[in-house]
Amino acid sequence: MELSRFCLALLATAFVSSLANAQTTTVLYKERVVEIEQTLPDASDLWVKPADLTRINDFELKPQGACLAELCIPVLQDRDSDLYVTRQNQGWFNVTELADILQQSWTTDYGARVWSFGGMPVDRRAFFESAEAPNFSLSDREGNPVRLSDYRGKQVLILTWASW
Amino acid sequence: MPVWQVIYEELKKVNPNFEIISFAQDSGGEADAGPILDAANVTYTSVIDTNHHISALYNLVNVPSAVWVDEEGKIVRINEGTYAQSHGAFGTDEYLPIVRDWAENGADSPYVWNEEQVTEKIFQRTTEAEKAQPTFRLGTFFFAQGNDEKAEQYWSLAQELDPTSWNYLRQDLKYEQGGSAGPEWRARRDSIESAGGTYYAPLDIEENTANN
Repeated sequence: MELSRFCLALLATAFVSSLANAQTTTVLYKERVVEIEQTLPDASDLWVKPADLTRINDFELKPQGACLAELCIPVLQDRDSDLYVTRQNQGWFNVTELADILQQSWTTDYGARVWSFGGMPVDRRAFFESAEAPNFSLSDREGNPVRLSDYRGKQVLILTWASW
Repeated sequence: MPVWQVIYEELKKVNPNFEIISFAQDSGGEADAGPILDAANVTYTSVIDTNHHISALYNLVNVPSAVWVDEEGKIVRINEGTYAQSHGAFGTDEYLPIVRDWAENGADSPYVWNEEQVTEKIFQRTTEAEKAQPTFRLGTFFFAQGNDEKAEQYWSLAQELDPTSWNYLRQDLKYEQGGSAGPEWRARRDSIESAGGTYYAPLDIEENTANN
C-alpha cells in the first residue's frame, strides 16, 4: 500500500516536471518576434502565461476575459476550459484558440517551436470598411522606428519595390 | 529608385508636407536592397521589409505598388502597379503626372478617390489566402536562419495558399534558376493574361467626378 502510494507520488512528480516546456518558443506576429520561456507541451495549441499573451498580441487577461481595447473575449478562470487552464497554481492561456475565435490565421513549425500569426480581422475592419490606413511600426536602415501614425498632417506616398 | 529620388526632391519644393516611405519587399534584407538604395542616394524614408509586412497589411500583390495616405491617415488611392516611368517592357509614364497633381492640389486633386472608391479597390483575399501570410513569414524566419530547406517548404506552401500574390512567387524565384523574371514567371504571367487576367491591377487614371 505504502509502496504504491510512493510510486504514484513519483509518477506525479515526473508528470509535473514535464508539464511546462522549458525550451524557448518563438512567436511571430505583426512586426514582432517574441521569445517565450515557458509553454505547455502541446503540438496543436500554443499555451502561454497571461503576461506572455500580452507580449504576443496586446491582449490582457482581466477578470472579465481576454481584452484588447473595448473588445473582451470571456474567459472562465476558476475552472479549465479550451482557452484557459490552471496547472500548479499557474494559469495558462491558449493563444491559438483565441486566434480561432477571432478568425485570425496562424501556422506552426512545432519541431522548431515557432508559431506564426496573421492579421486579426477585428484589427482590419477600419481598413476594409472606412479606408483607414493601417498603422505600422517598422525600422528604417538606421534602426529608427517608422510609424505611419507619426505622419499625421503629411501626404504620404507608400511605395513598394524589390531587388528581385 | 533614382527616378523617385528626383521626383521626391521636386515635389518637396512644391509641397513640404509631401513624403515618400518606400518598402523593399526583400527577404534577403540589407544585402539585397541596400546597394540599390545607396546607389540612388535615397533621402526619403526607406524600410527594408524582409517579411513583406506592408504588402500583407495593405493587400498588395506585386511590386511596385503604391498607396496614397492623406493628412488624416485615410487612404485616397490604393492597389496599383506604379512605375515612375516606362522602361523596356515594363512601366508607364502615366502615373507620375497624377502623383504630381496630388502633391500640388492635395484633397482637391481629381485623382483622389473617396472612401467608397478606395474600399472597392482594396484587393480581397480568401480565408485560405489569409493563411499564406503567416506561412510566408515562417519561411522568412527560417531563411534568415540559413535554413533554406524549410524556407523553401513554407514559401512554396504560401504560394499554394495564395496564388494571387506575385510577391511570394517572385521572392522565391529569386533564389531559383532563372530569377524572378525567368521562364517560370513568364509562363505564369502568360497563363494569367491569356485567361483575361492582369499581372498588375490596371491603372485607373480617370479624373474623379464623384468628388465634384
